[in-house]
Amino acid sequence: MTQEYALEIRNLKKYFRAGRPGWFSRFEKYIHAVDGVDLQLRRGEVVALVGESGCGKSTLALTLMLLEEATEGNILFEGRDITHISARERKAIRQRIQMVFQDPYESLNPTQTIEEIVTEPLIVHGLALDGNERRQRVLRALEDAGLKPAEDYLHRYPHQLSGGQRQRVVIAGALVLEPHILLADEPVSMLDVSIRAEIINLLADLRRTRGISVIFITHDLGTIGYFADRVAVMYLGRIVEIGTMREVLKKPKHPYTQALLSVIPVPNPRMRKKRVILQGETPNPIDLPSGCRFHPRCPMALEVCRQSDPALLKVTETHHAACLLLVK
Amino acid sequence: MAVQELELKPAVPASPLTGFWKMFRENRMAVAGLVMLLVIVFAAVFADVIAPYNPRSYEGIQSGDIYNPPSATHWFGTDDAGKDVFSSFIFGARNSLIVGFFAAFISIFIGGTFGVLAGFYGGRIENFLMRFTDLMLVIPDLPLIVIFVALTKPSLWNIILVIGLLGWTTTARIVRSQTLAVKSRKFVLRARAIGAGNGHIILHHILPLVMPILVVNAILVISLAILSESTLAFLGLSDPLAISWGQMLNFAFGRGAMSVGAWWALVAPGFGIVWVVLALTLLGNGLEQVLNPRLEAHHLMPGRLPVWGGEAESYPATAVRKSRRRKDAAMVLDVRNVSVAYVNGNSQVKAVQNVSFQLYEGELIGLVGESGCGKTTLMLALLRLLPAAGQIVNGQILFDGRDLTSLSEAEISDIRWKDISIVFQGAMNALNPVRTVGDQIKEAIVKHNPAFPQKRLETRVIELLGLVGIPAAYKDHFPHQYSGGMRQRAMIAMALSCNPKILIADEPTTALDVMIQAQILDLLDELRAQLGLAIIFVTHDLGVVAEMCDSVLVMYGGVTAEYADVDTIYNSPRHPYTQELLKAFPDLSRPERKLAFIPGHPPKLDALPPGCRFAPRCSQAFERCVSEMPRLYELKAGHVASCHLAEGKSR
Repeated sequence: MTQEYALEIRNLKKYFRAGRPGWFSRFEKYIHAVDGVDLQLRRGEVVALVGESGCGKSTLALTLMLLEEATEGNILFEGRDITHISARERKAIRQRIQMVFQDPYESLNPTQTIEEIVTEPLIVHGLALDGNERRQRVLRALEDAGLKPAEDYLHRYPHQLSGGQRQRVVIAGALVLEPHILLADEPVSMLDVSIRAEIINLLADLRRTRGISVIFITHDLGTIGYFADRVAVMYLGRIVEIGTMREVLKKPKHPYTQALLSVIPVPNPRMRKKRVILQGETPNPIDLPSGCRFHPRCPMALEVCRQSDPALLKVTETHHAACLLLVK
Repeated sequence: MAVQELELKPAVPASPLTGFWKMFRENRMAVAGLVMLLVIVFAAVFADVIAPYNPRSYEGIQSGDIYNPPSATHWFGTDDAGKDVFSSFIFGARNSLIVGFFAAFISIFIGGTFGVLAGFYGGRIENFLMRFTDLMLVIPDLPLIVIFVALTKPSLWNIILVIGLLGWTTTARIVRSQTLAVKSRKFVLRARAIGAGNGHIILHHILPLVMPILVVNAILVISLAILSESTLAFLGLSDPLAISWGQMLNFAFGRGAMSVGAWWALVAPGFGIVWVVLALTLLGNGLEQVLNPRLEAHHLMPGRLPVWGGEAESYPATAVRKSRRRKDAAMVLDVRNVSVAYVNGNSQVKAVQNVSFQLYEGELIGLVGESGCGKTTLMLALLRLLPAAGQIVNGQILFDGRDLTSLSEAEISDIRWKDISIVFQGAMNALNPVRTVGDQIKEAIVKHNPAFPQKRLETRVIELLGLVGIPAAYKDHFPHQYSGGMRQRAMIAMALSCNPKILIADEPTTALDVMIQAQILDLLDELRAQLGLAIIFVTHDLGVVAEMCDSVLVMYGGVTAEYADVDTIYNSPRHPYTQELLKAFPDLSRPERKLAFIPGHPPKLDALPPGCRFAPRCSQAFERCVSEMPRLYELKAGHVASCHLAEGKSR
């Protein structure tokens, strides 16, 4: 049986309670971190999830990793609902969905050698019990992550590696389990620009050679460029625009996407362009604005945007955006 | 290929353990404590061999032997029963240490378990365990122990048990707070994402990082246990047949040693207690320094004078860049051949070598390079804020007709902040959390300008906040009520409080979102136009500065790679490093293009390659690059590059 989707997210919501009802407020308040996200990830597909801090993209990742339990909605992994499963089943799923974290300086235990770090997932899952086989898998994971010759790295410690190498170790630690899906949460934002492409190209190769599906979370549309198949732009817990990489980058429909694109620097002083700089920051997700969530910051907001909350509207078969300007 | 050979071989992997031993051996306090402790442990273990007499036997003792002063046959004299005090001292060491070690083991085990479990699980478990710990903490130990021991048969093991069971509370609290700190680190989350259970995480990720604190704490608990035992024995609550130092004190005190002037019977056990406690304290403090290197202060000590004078190289005079904005713009900063070295003992690191640049009023210069290229060191040198081990070894920094390198500390501190101010990377986290932002800005104004009229302070704060786009109402808010971007703006407002001529912005937008980054860049651009401010913008991202810079200085491995006006840097770069940096920047107008990156990483400044510093990573390197360091070649007026390929390419 082959499923078309590696991962299917249906109307996923994750709320956190913000304070209890007290003397002055009779109602509980909630942080609407993820507020109704629908997304399908095909096998071998790379979807970029873009948004500013506080838009809920990291909470979405943790919920998909089953590290946070969804408040509402469903997560389907290869056709099977995994939203609320037992701890044992969760462990089995974790073999298939792995994560790469933002800060390679923090996400490795400084007291472990690289060999210990990459072997650990195998031990946790009781895989490759034979010592020789285990070592082979670790070496292969390291080489696949671009650390060659792998033997040179086995006995080193994280502090002896550069930022890019550390991020490769994190990726090797995920690859060793042979996952089907990789969630990369800002994997390059802490790295120098000069080596970011090193990690992005590595992820692109893995998709090609291993058929891994990737959700690439970033605040910077510029870094994903050619690498993503589709781009989903998130704002205040919802996807406001989704489409193929080309559609979103070349013909953005949502004013938020347009603004995000306009502030990406162009490395050519002769092409200085008009930037749409949004004032303020993402509002807090406790008291959501009425109507369209983006209207308080939107440079093109109309009167109707205050009242009516737009759903995703079809632009093309693959391109959708949640903006009332598209209704006309 | 010659270039490949330059690829530095990875150093022999140093395990934390070998590193630990090396640092331990170098720590005099720890070594002294350990030696002192080993001496007494050795004596205790081999007591039967070392002690000249058996303290339990009365054989050969005559009535005249009572309270004899120290002599050749009895080094520490004799006691009330005519027995040799030295032998009792040696055997007493054995019991005192046994109690100390075993009681501490029990305490550490209980305290460690409580602390880790409470810290790791939190919630109800933590509540229960820590409230229990608090309860134990407020019960006065000594009376409880006295009651406890009095109720049970006085034996050495009862004493151990009682001291051990009562002495774990501090350990539990310390371990809990360390566990909390470790638990929130990202590698624990990563272990969870791998699928690891709680047991695995505690064993492999929490314990190894809690262990150093536990070890240091254990040492102190041992000495406390020895003291407790002495107290109990002195009160007569220990096994009368087990000789310990406390017991010796008890007997000597109770049987008239003081009245007959037999000081030796009291001094010997007292000396033993002081010796062991001192040894353990030294060892504990030493270990703490070794395990937590931040406590060590020596890297902040001024280094000795450098051997390296810095090979001064004359900067091509014609290469002095003209202002790009206005012909008559005044030069506000002229940095000439500045070199900076870090000196530690006899070794030194050349962090910056012969860097020159010019800054005109109202201009923005981008200082670009990867992490570890000496950018921040150069900026700190400009302000003379280098850590004590850092020195400007040659060059001049001309500001306002004065050479900043030759000013006295008082003179430079007058210029710092008032004329040249700086905003650091992550500076937004440097605001004091318990004072309003407005107050902190006021303080910055008054500190550097004590004569500032009190009446105008309020309006000045509002004016400054307005400059950086923060509404006046926010002046009475606390930093935590600000978002990250607003805090960074507030820091810029503070840096502007004395109307500086130059603002140094050291990666002010790293770790901020693209939109906030754009807001801050926009703000800096406006300030420059509005106030005629000259800005030095430090970044690893060439793309960011393209939008607003007038000129760019690209640094690599502590030297100037290329320096020119912005148009030249982006449209006809000559140094391969500049070219590669530009290629690494994503160009959204061509999203299908595969992104390039520079393989490898910048050289460590203490292991610089002999030739061109970029040669090991350079795709265009040839033999000469490996052996000879290129000098700065002038390509046209105001454009220099340190690359052999640029030789003879000038006009």
